[in-house]
Amino acid sequence: MIARKVPSRMTRLLKSLLCGMVVATTIAMDARAQSSAEAIAAVSPKVVKIFGAGGRKNLYGYGSGFLVSAEGHIVTVWSHILDGDSVTVVLHDGQRYEGRVVGAEPTLDLAVLKIETEGLPFFDLTQPTPTVGPGARVLAFSNVFKVATGDEPVSVVHGVIAAQTTLSARRGVFDAPYNGPVYVVDAVTNNSGAAGGVLTTRTGQLLGMLGKELKNNTTHTWLNYVVPISQLQTAITEIQTGKFAPRKTEDDEGSITSAPRRYSPRDFGIVMVPDVVTKTPAYVDRVIPGSAAAEAGVMPDDLILFVGEQLVASYRALRDELGALESGDRVKIVVRRGDQLVTFEFTAPRKETEP
Amino acid sequence: MKSVITSTTTAILLLLATACVNAAPDAKLEALEEQAFKEAAAIVAPSIVRIETVGGLDQVSPGLTAGGTTSGVIVSPDGYVASSAFHFAAKPTSILVTLADSRRFPARLVSTDRQRMITLMKIDADGLPVPRMAPRDGFKVGQWSLALGRTFDSDQPSVSIGIVSAINRIWGKAVQTDAKVSPVNYGGPLVDVQGRVMGILVPLSPQSNGETAGVEWYDSGIGFAVPLEDTLAVLDRMKAGDDLLPGVFGVTFQGRDSAGSAPVLDRVRFASPAEKAGLKKGDRIIAVDGRPVQFVAELRSVLGRKYAGDEIAFTAQRGEQKLDVKLTLVEKIPPFDPAYFGILPQRQGEGAVVRIVLPDSPAERAGVKAKDTVTTWNNEPVTTARELAERVSRQRPGETATVMVQREGKPETLTVKLGSFPETVPAQLSADALSTEAPAGDAAKTGRLSESLEGHDRKYWMYVPESYRKDRPAGLMVFLHPGADSMEAAVLGIWKPECERRGLIIVAPQCDRPAGWSPNDLEFVQDCVAKVKETYTIAEQRVFAHAIDTAVPFAAVYTFRNKATVRGAALTGASLRGNAPENDPDERLQFHLSASLADKQVNAIKATADMLKKARFPTVYTTFAQATEGYLPGLMVEEIARWADALDRI
Repeated sequence: MIARKVPSRMTRLLKSLLCGMVVATTIAMDARAQSSAEAIAAVSPKVVKIFGAGGRKNLYGYGSGFLVSAEGHIVTVWSHILDGDSVTVVLHDGQRYEGRVVGAEPTLDLAVLKIETEGLPFFDLTQPTPTVGPGARVLAFSNVFKVATGDEPVSVVHGVIAAQTTLSARRGVFDAPYNGPVYVVDAVTNNSGAAGGVLTTRTGQLLGMLGKELKNNTTHTWLNYVVPISQLQTAITEIQTGKFAPRKTEDDEGSITSAPRRYSPRDFGIVMVPDVVTKTPAYVDRVIPGSAAAEAGVMPDDLILFVGEQLVASYRALRDELGALESGDRVKIVVRRGDQLVTFEFTAPRKETEP
Repeated sequence: MKSVITSTTTAILLLLATACVNAAPDAKLEALEEQAFKEAAAIVAPSIVRIETVGGLDQVSPGLTAGGTTSGVIVSPDGYVASSAFHFAAKPTSILVTLADSRRFPARLVSTDRQRMITLMKIDADGLPVPRMAPRDGFKVGQWSLALGRTFDSDQPSVSIGIVSAINRIWGKAVQTDAKVSPVNYGGPLVDVQGRVMGILVPLSPQSNGETAGVEWYDSGIGFAVPLEDTLAVLDRMKAGDDLLPGVFGVTFQGRDSAGSAPVLDRVRFASPAEKAGLKKGDRIIAVDGRPVQFVAELRSVLGRKYAGDEIAFTAQRGEQKLDVKLTLVEKIPPFDPAYFGILPQRQGEGAVVRIVLPDSPAERAGVKAKDTVTTWNNEPVTTARELAERVSRQRPGETATVMVQREGKPETLTVKLGSFPETVPAQLSADALSTEAPAGDAAKTGRLSESLEGHDRKYWMYVPESYRKDRPAGLMVFLHPGADSMEAAVLGIWKPECERRGLIIVAPQCDRPAGWSPNDLEFVQDCVAKVKETYTIAEQRVFAHAIDTAVPFAAVYTFRNKATVRGAALTGASLRGNAPENDPDERLQFHLSASLADKQVNAIKATADMLKKARFPTVYTTFAQATEGYLPGLMVEEIARWADALDRI
């Protein structure tokens, strides 16, 4: 065993030395250029299996996480698995540790665990993280469906970045636990137990943390999303260093479930066609004479399609969009009149009831 | 190596050097491929549009539905955009197209290709970037293919990468890919690695049609794209605003396995293009549009690329003879709609003799009288009632016929305007005169009989009227009881007088499971009926199934599967699901549906009757106020008996 261990330590040293030399002389090559196979070998030991609360009914009791320090800080998703006092963390080589939660940021769906050990391979979050676009090849590492047990490394799937987009629960399309920029992957990465795993580039650079299982409420299709590490970095570092205080985001003020109703179409002088079915299109029924809408030239039978950049697919969506305006906001409204699109601009009027 | 290198460190160094250098090409290849994917996506990106819709139905089918957003591909610079029809199943009120340069246009639907499920729309724009097309004869299984869409909140199209899994799928309509295809990119392009559009992504299913067929396969690694070449080939027709529909010509083939069966015609549907072109049962199609075909599947692939209105040429082999026919595919074969004359023929003796002229019928209006003998129909000779029925069935309701009858020895010529079968049962129908002769010596058993069927070891009971005579064919009612309740006493008690009066035999196979009938029982019922037909003389025209409540679906299956034996079904107290099978001119069926007004299912039963009527089965639907304990009220039984006694009407 010793005989094997010595060269292996040397190997690492020499490898970096030698590869460094090769890079220095080969301009075309990326400093981190390695094949997927090499990337997998390097990343796998940094991803851990987590076992915790659950295991009853439909709640599975397993998940994934990844090491961010040599001393055993592990990043994972905030989930019911962490509900017990402690969780069991199993490394790729089968070593088992008891892990405890050192901090969590529910708005990011993030938790940080700690196991008591040292000298582990880890993702160095102080390194700059790459940004990749659609078509970039990626690898996802997680203990999806608890396939890996004991000393087995987690499962790897490959795919490409399908899109960079923003999850927004406000539109009611996603009941996402996290709102913000995400990567969408074209492989089925988000399944039971996968959340908390990692997405890397094909060369093994950390891109983000695999999210939970998420269904699009409109199309009823599953979405495989990944939270970019740049979104998590600050919170992770703060939790690690004990400086963390759960922040209040701007969005946090108004609860998502009770959308604000600050303005209605009538505030602009527009009376809508009554809302009869859930997808009643936002047709203008009449315009109150002398109102802002009348002045701007809104006409009966105009179909309101956009408030700002947001498509309003129904009367209800329009109500939500206008409801979220603040006093004095400039708002652009696009209507369809026959085969024309007409744009109007309004200012949200000052309301007497406001403080 | 070990023999040459002495120092361990040097050995490791060299090994590592080889490892590092060997790794490079691998990584390089991956990087190059990735670059190619990104470039391919970037080349097509300007031609991919985002389509947003407003309004429309809440839900198209349970489960998956189209959201507010989908993708499309520009197909001509003057503002035509093609997308998957999937998204438009909800019939949106308004459609908006956003170009890659974020200009936004209202769009109008132009037309839909219902064969390939592609929808074309038009925006008021010019000079739009049309993507390059990848010709379909260049598609290779295994080549890279990218599924692109523009539904996410993002400037760049979404990308999923896979390979071409198969070509000429779904009867030649589509190319198959393992890239992830879902409502996220339906309507978007499938692109090759050079950035040429291979096709437009759509959900498709080999088994079913419709906008949402195949959606259940989303993101499964089974995705389809309709070749752009095919869409461009019909673009002018689509621009003209006409929906393109799948074409049929009205035949079924022998053999179930379309991949392995030869295209030998089984049935040629009445009034179909195939019938009009002179194709007949037993003909074997040997070439389509000049290309030889061996299997049904090949023929389907040719049809898969054609539309209603298109011409198709067949070469058929009939015995030694070779026939060339050309026909025009149609959207739909009209259901066989039997014409109704309105008489009951004499059941005994020679010639087509009118026994009863049914009230308020075309025959009555034309002046046909009982005891008239029909001698010609449209100047063609008629010698039996069966021949008369055959001649009438070749005509359609509303058509006229010239009928020559012999009345009291003198010929009369009448003109009759044929109608449709009435939807009620005549209030009166006198029974056929019964024989008063004593039964012959070897008479079969009559009365209430309890039998068991050999081979099945199962029981059935029968009632054979005392009036039964071997030389007078009897009607046969196959009674199927619901669940575990045999209903024997109730049914026998109320039907006995009708059986005696109208010469009707009852056979009642017994279901041996409390749960009721299952498809496994079909053979037992068939064998019971066969046994009865062996022992007694049965009038083929007057065999019908009668079932109540939970036995109704089984009775319907039995009826539809045994059209050669059973001529109708009287069904009470339960509805049927699914679609009515085709009304087959050669094996005709009639239905009597009844429901208690107190029954919650009354509307569903009426809907079943409407479904049968729509498929042009002669169908009567009646309701009664309340069921008599356990079975039907006497008046309803009398009506069913009259209906059954008129099953041989022409």
